[in-house]
Amino acid sequence: MTMCARKTLLRISLVATLAFGLIMVEGLQSDNTVSAQDVQVSGPLAGAPAVMNQRLWRDMRLHVEPFFAFTIGDEYSRSLIVGGELRFHFLDWFGIGGWGGYSVGQLDTNLTKEIRDKGGVTNANRLDLPTNDGYPDQIGRLDWWSGVEAHFVPFRGKLAMFQKVFVDADLDFFVGAAFIGVEERKNVEGVPAQPPAEAGISDCIIEGETGIDPGCVGSQSARSKRVVIAPSFGVAFSAFFKEFVGISFRWRGIPFKYNTSGTDNNRDGQIDSDDRLRQFNNMFTVGVIFTLPPKIKTTR
Amino acid sequence: MAAFWLTLPPAAEAQMEFSLDEVEEEEAKAAEKQTSEGDLIEELAASDDTASDSPAEPEPQREEIAEEIYAVQQIYALRLKRVELAPSAAFTLNDPYLKRYGLGFAMNYWFTNVLALGVNFIWYDWGTDPLSRGTDLVPRIQNQFRLGVPINDWQFGLWANFTYVPFYGKFKVRKKIFQWDAYLIGGVGLMRTQPIPVFDPERRSFDWQNNVAFNVGAGLRIFLTRYLTFFAEFRAYMWPDKFENLRVDPAVPEDSSTWLESGSTFVANTSIQIGFTLFLPIKFEYRLPK
Repeated sequence: MTMCARKTLLRISLVATLAFGLIMVEGLQSDNTVSAQDVQVSGPLAGAPAVMNQRLWRDMRLHVEPFFAFTIGDEYSRSLIVGGELRFHFLDWFGIGGWGGYSVGQLDTNLTKEIRDKGGVTNANRLDLPTNDGYPDQIGRLDWWSGVEAHFVPFRGKLAMFQKVFVDADLDFFVGAAFIGVEERKNVEGVPAQPPAEAGISDCIIEGETGIDPGCVGSQSARSKRVVIAPSFGVAFSAFFKEFVGISFRWRGIPFKYNTSGTDNNRDGQIDSDDRLRQFNNMFTVGVIFTLPPKIKTTR
Repeated sequence: MAAFWLTLPPAAEAQMEFSLDEVEEEEAKAAEKQTSEGDLIEELAASDDTASDSPAEPEPQREEIAEEIYAVQQIYALRLKRVELAPSAAFTLNDPYLKRYGLGFAMNYWFTNVLALGVNFIWYDWGTDPLSRGTDLVPRIQNQFRLGVPINDWQFGLWANFTYVPFYGKFKVRKKIFQWDAYLIGGVGLMRTQPIPVFDPERRSFDWQNNVAFNVGAGLRIFLTRYLTFFAEFRAYMWPDKFENLRVDPAVPEDSSTWLESGSTFVANTSIQIGFTLFLPIKFEYRLPK
């Protein structure tokens, strides 16, 4: 009985919160100070909806979107991703979907090449850079990507290209959770150099392995893998050319922590989870949208 | 006449079997009628004498017109022969070593409705120590990899640009319709930069140097009114830059000719700029064809 009452209270609270939110949004919008173009029509079109015969590109339709993506703003390595996205839109402005992709290529940044070519190796930084040539092997990489997201499409319209081609377009805002396959340098502990050698670290001990790794060389290519769960959000511009074909340009941000450089970032003499740094990982995606059913509905 | 005859469809040819004399006579009658009637504006502007004449009863329409009529909305805001003033803020996206912010101002003249010529200027030098705007990546690279990072400071950039608007459209947001356009921009100019002495700061000092720079970009402009817009654009500013020489010549460290790298490094500053544009004159008139 108590459980039932709690549930009822919870539902009432939820509905009240939603209603309050809607009232607030409506109230704010009624006092709108932005002076965009008002639809002020007199004559036979007075009272007509803003858009007639509006094509409903998303309403109760499934969107299948193969895509190609690449990460941007990376410090050490960029990912080239091939994947797909599946979305179902219950309304023309709301849908849910999932996406996934695999990093088919990794492009090292100019900084990685600079470190490989010009970086200096001493006992003072042996844990961070055991060898120059092996540096690309120690950096963190993102192997695969997936996620579930809710999509909101508040803005829609049409555009003219070169005053010849006219297409429908919309902006798709989405938020959700992402699951990323991260590959990082394995946990490593530095062994202090013994006199008469200079101070610093001369060798390493790799987690899960017995024995000393001389000069930490083996640790440079020792890898560990894990799955990261992180928030994801972004915006997409979609344009529809046929009833069942469109194109989308999507930006997605996924902030999470990982050890991008494979180094001892907190200077505690070992490389572990404490060395992960927050990265604002973001990617740009180009996709082709196929919609099912292929036949489109229109408003009156 | 022959050309007119050739343009007629075969069905029309079959129904119109007139002799040449009959056609000329009809054409003469039509010309006479046209001279006497004139168009609506002429009639309204005619003298009172004409107006005092009893108006002729309009003849009943004899044929049903089954012509499709399209209502085409006028372009919300014309750009033709208007000057655009655009203050903006610029944020560099791809510099991992320094956070860079600029204030910009652009001025364009639209000599067609989709093509403009103009200039834009961005000021980056705010009188602060540029290294104080350094990211935490710089000390990490220095400590972890024993690698020096040559960094140049920027003072300003000035470019002459062409802007082309290939896309325009409108978005519906509830009961509001926002007009927008997307444009491509590109041009040439100069970028004024200065190496920050890092490798031998006690001896080395550098003057500002002018570099020939190019830029390309794309932007989106949303019309808030017919003369005021909000815009966001992506710009890539590119130039060959000279950085500080990583090596200090132990024999002649004071020799300023050894302070800079021998070659140039290609720099691409990708940035986001957001701002407002004001179109002048504020009002404009549509000139509709009669």
